[in-house]
Amino acid sequence: MMRVSTATSFDTGVSTLQARQRELVDAQQQLTSGKRIARLSDDPGAAARAERALASEARADADRRALEASRTAIVQVEAAFGDAGELLQQARELLVGAGNPSYGASERRAIGERLAGIRDQLMKIANRGDGAGGYLFGGQGIGEPPFIDAAGGVQYGATGGVQQAASSELLPLTTDGQRAFLVARTGNGVFVTGATTSNGTAWIDAGRVTQPNQITGSPYSVSFTVTGASTTYTVMQGASATPLTNVAYQSGQAIQIDGMSFTITGQPADGDRFDVMPSTPDLSVFDVLDGLGAALANGSATGAQVTQAVADGLRDLDSSAATLNGRRAEAGSWLNRFDDVELRISGQKLRAQEERSSAEDLDMLHAISDFQLRQSGYDAALRAYSMVQRLSLFQYLGP
Amino acid sequence: MTTSALMSLGTRAMFANYAALQTTGHNIANASTDGYSRQEVQLQSAGGQFTGAGFFGKGVDVKNVARAFDQFLSREALTTRSQAAYDSARVDKLAQLESAFTGGEQGIGYAAGDLLNAMVDLSSHPQDLAARQVVLSRASDLGARFSAAATRLDAIQTGVTQELRAAVTHINEIAQNVAAVNDRIALAKGSGQTPNDLLDLRDRLVSELGGYMEVTTIAADDGTLSVFVAGGQRLVLGAQSMRLELSPDTFDASRMTLGIVEASGVRKLPHGLIGSGSIGGLLRFQDDDLAQARMLLGQMAASIAGSVNAQQSLGLNLGVPPGPGAALFGVGAAQALPANTNARTAGGAFVSNVTLAVTDPTQLQATEYSLVNDGTGNWRLTRLADGLAQTVVDGSIVDGFRINLGPPAPLATDRFLLQPVTRAANSMVSTLDDPRGIAAASPVTAALGGNNTGTATVAALTVVNTAIDPDQTATITFTSASGNYDWELRDRSTSALISSGSASWSVGQPIALNGFELQVTGVPQSGDVITVSKTLYPGSNNGNALALAALRDAMLVGRVSDGAGGLTGGQTLTDAWANAMADIGVRSQGAKTASAISTQVAASAKEALSGRTGVNLDEEAARLMQYQQGYQAAAKVLQVAQSLFDTLLDAANA
Repeated sequence: MMRVSTATSFDTGVSTLQARQRELVDAQQQLTSGKRIARLSDDPGAAARAERALASEARADADRRALEASRTAIVQVEAAFGDAGELLQQARELLVGAGNPSYGASERRAIGERLAGIRDQLMKIANRGDGAGGYLFGGQGIGEPPFIDAAGGVQYGATGGVQQAASSELLPLTTDGQRAFLVARTGNGVFVTGATTSNGTAWIDAGRVTQPNQITGSPYSVSFTVTGASTTYTVMQGASATPLTNVAYQSGQAIQIDGMSFTITGQPADGDRFDVMPSTPDLSVFDVLDGLGAALANGSATGAQVTQAVADGLRDLDSSAATLNGRRAEAGSWLNRFDDVELRISGQKLRAQEERSSAEDLDMLHAISDFQLRQSGYDAALRAYSMVQRLSLFQYLGP
Repeated sequence: MTTSALMSLGTRAMFANYAALQTTGHNIANASTDGYSRQEVQLQSAGGQFTGAGFFGKGVDVKNVARAFDQFLSREALTTRSQAAYDSARVDKLAQLESAFTGGEQGIGYAAGDLLNAMVDLSSHPQDLAARQVVLSRASDLGARFSAAATRLDAIQTGVTQELRAAVTHINEIAQNVAAVNDRIALAKGSGQTPNDLLDLRDRLVSELGGYMEVTTIAADDGTLSVFVAGGQRLVLGAQSMRLELSPDTFDASRMTLGIVEASGVRKLPHGLIGSGSIGGLLRFQDDDLAQARMLLGQMAASIAGSVNAQQSLGLNLGVPPGPGAALFGVGAAQALPANTNARTAGGAFVSNVTLAVTDPTQLQATEYSLVNDGTGNWRLTRLADGLAQTVVDGSIVDGFRINLGPPAPLATDRFLLQPVTRAANSMVSTLDDPRGIAAASPVTAALGGNNTGTATVAALTVVNTAIDPDQTATITFTSASGNYDWELRDRSTSALISSGSASWSVGQPIALNGFELQVTGVPQSGDVITVSKTLYPGSNNGNALALAALRDAMLVGRVSDGAGGLTGGQTLTDAWANAMADIGVRSQGAKTASAISTQVAASAKEALSGRTGVNLDEEAARLMQYQQGYQAAAKVLQVAQSLFDTLLDAANA
């Protein structure tokens, strides 16, 4: 038979009560904090999971900040492209007006001056800052306005390309100014027509591609020979002769060769020469406006030269505008992508929050019932202790 | 037969019952005395007197007072108490250790993530001084958290040392007391009776000793008890006791070792032999848990600081002219601790000198190494975490650090403990306070040719070598759609050709030239050009800030060599911290469970022992009545003897 030492039975009773009380306090703490894990050792695996999820949340916040920086920049870029497009539209309207044959030199000069004003505004847009010390069209970084008026035309001082934000996805912080303003394709995009020597009244249009698969990419020249009433022209492909040799010229009739078609209108003088060169991607919108300004300011220009200048100018403005619009569309598509990226980031953050919550948060329903269970357990332990420990033989022994 | 026989019988019975009552009273009085064993008067019949009519009983004799005792149960209680004390000492300290490895927003992992996330804002606005200032304050916060955690570990070590010191003092006192009690017991034993209360006292002392250290006892015939510790070292032998002493570790003076004082000096007790008891728990905590915590913390500190500093040095700051970024963090150096027995000069300084230099912080492992001479002149390096041994020479590079043997070179008798990371977190501090000093810019910039027709774009341009010469412009011209390319390096100002060549690029492989690595995505067309040239405006370039932010996903901690010249494994910062937390958490959790079990087992053993030897008041109450009635009955015998005697006298008078 197992004896019970009185002192031990008191000690055991007290320590059992203390343990029960401890459990109750722990359950209460969990309920108050709403966390399942008060200490690392409560559940090391879940604590580590919660830590990873927290890092993932912080990461999502950082990604969102990078996204906002990118969005802010691209919204400004898009607006700048909008402004630039409007300016080019104004320039085009002015230029169409300049082609009016009733205009004299002074009217044309006035138009030229207005074009110069537009050019200056365009330059300001191209050098617009992003409000944080950088430049919208700063490419891969520059410390000063990226477009510089230099001898020989406007130059781009920054390195091309775009600055990326630090994010899980590629997000631009700037736009390549060179690609926006300086690299429109010359001519109609495939070839460039131009008057090299023009002493008559003839002018050449921008031409068009009729058979894309026949385009050779070689330079061509059209030379005129005027003898008395007969005007003939000869088309050369570089230095080689072509079937179009000594063809009779008729104003306004399309000249077709190797998939290209262009029209020369008016009466050329003997020795006049028009060149058709392959298009190159180096057309600067500033050069176009500068060239137009100069051409319109030239008071001694002949009607043909004016017409030629206006036709070339419209062609080049359209090409520049098309490039700008392309870039603007690109910016617009970025703005759309930002919304998708934002959704992904929010999703990532939400998942991280859920992961953290499942790792460390308390299941309240379970916790409350657990707490009540422990409460009644403690209550019962107290009652039992007070009843059992009160019993003693000494109470039954008479005096 | 005389009436005096009855008288004497009654007196004896009264005396015996009185003695029993007295012992019962003693039991009742000591019902709550710790370590008290119930005593019992052992009675025996006084025998009979022979007459012709047979034997007449002479009454009762008190034989002796015995104490309830159980050899097996008391040994059981002693060993379980030692184990419970071991677990509980360790669990208390581990609970303190947990506080240095907190997770959440107050943790180190969060601060490290914060620093690298601040690099994201820096790359969004590289020229913004406010973004740079944020990076600096995050760095200083991270440094402070690391050094605070390391200081916390130091404080815990101080607590361990103090507790060990107090325990050793107690042990020495107890050992002396046991020896003194042994002496008195031997004396008492000589008188032929057992001194129950002295035995209780000695048992209690030995039990107390068992709380501090695992002890074995051997009883001698003269009643003395010899006490042995640490696998057979005698602590008490008869009336003689030895002294224990706490002294600094041979290598690392911040750690403590236990030794026993002998005539020839202090003999160190191997920690493995100390076994259970609170000292065993504290030493295990110090040598294993705390050391591991230090190394985990140090490994992370060294990896983060080293990686961030290395990336800093590859970029350009905002200085005039822009220069490579200075170190963002300073950490405690990797150190080689000489044994205090190593050869010394007359002045007391060590003769030899071994130093360590970190070569790749990402390869540092959370362990220490021992360096000893194998007796044939070769130096043997043993990684203590897994026992992997290898022979090293001066300049050998192991696990991301280089070992310099001298000068002066170590002697064959010298021993060293190498701590590449143990102290790294202790003095971690951010060393940069000028926001312009952060190297956000890359020294080179990649640009695609304007006439490129393929879809190839630059995914990343990373500088991998500080020896990069930005004044060399690299031009990469693709010669086929399958990735063949020609490259040339030209002087930036004179365009003079420096070198050129051809190679082939495949998806996922970087193009490495002039200290940079270019990652290309998409499909290049023949004739496409990528140029990598000097960054003209470092103020607005964010190339290096991107690389710093990319450290979030880099395997920075604990990479290992794959044996083929490459590196494998490793963890990101977040994972490394989460795993360090889990490591400490699991230790604490395991210790908690072990402690709960061993405490329960000790309580049961104590209950079983006290069930056998303790006082039950109800039992004593019953005995009280029993002996009281016995006493009353004996008195009645005396009264009867008295009246018999009176009857006899009256008869004689009449």
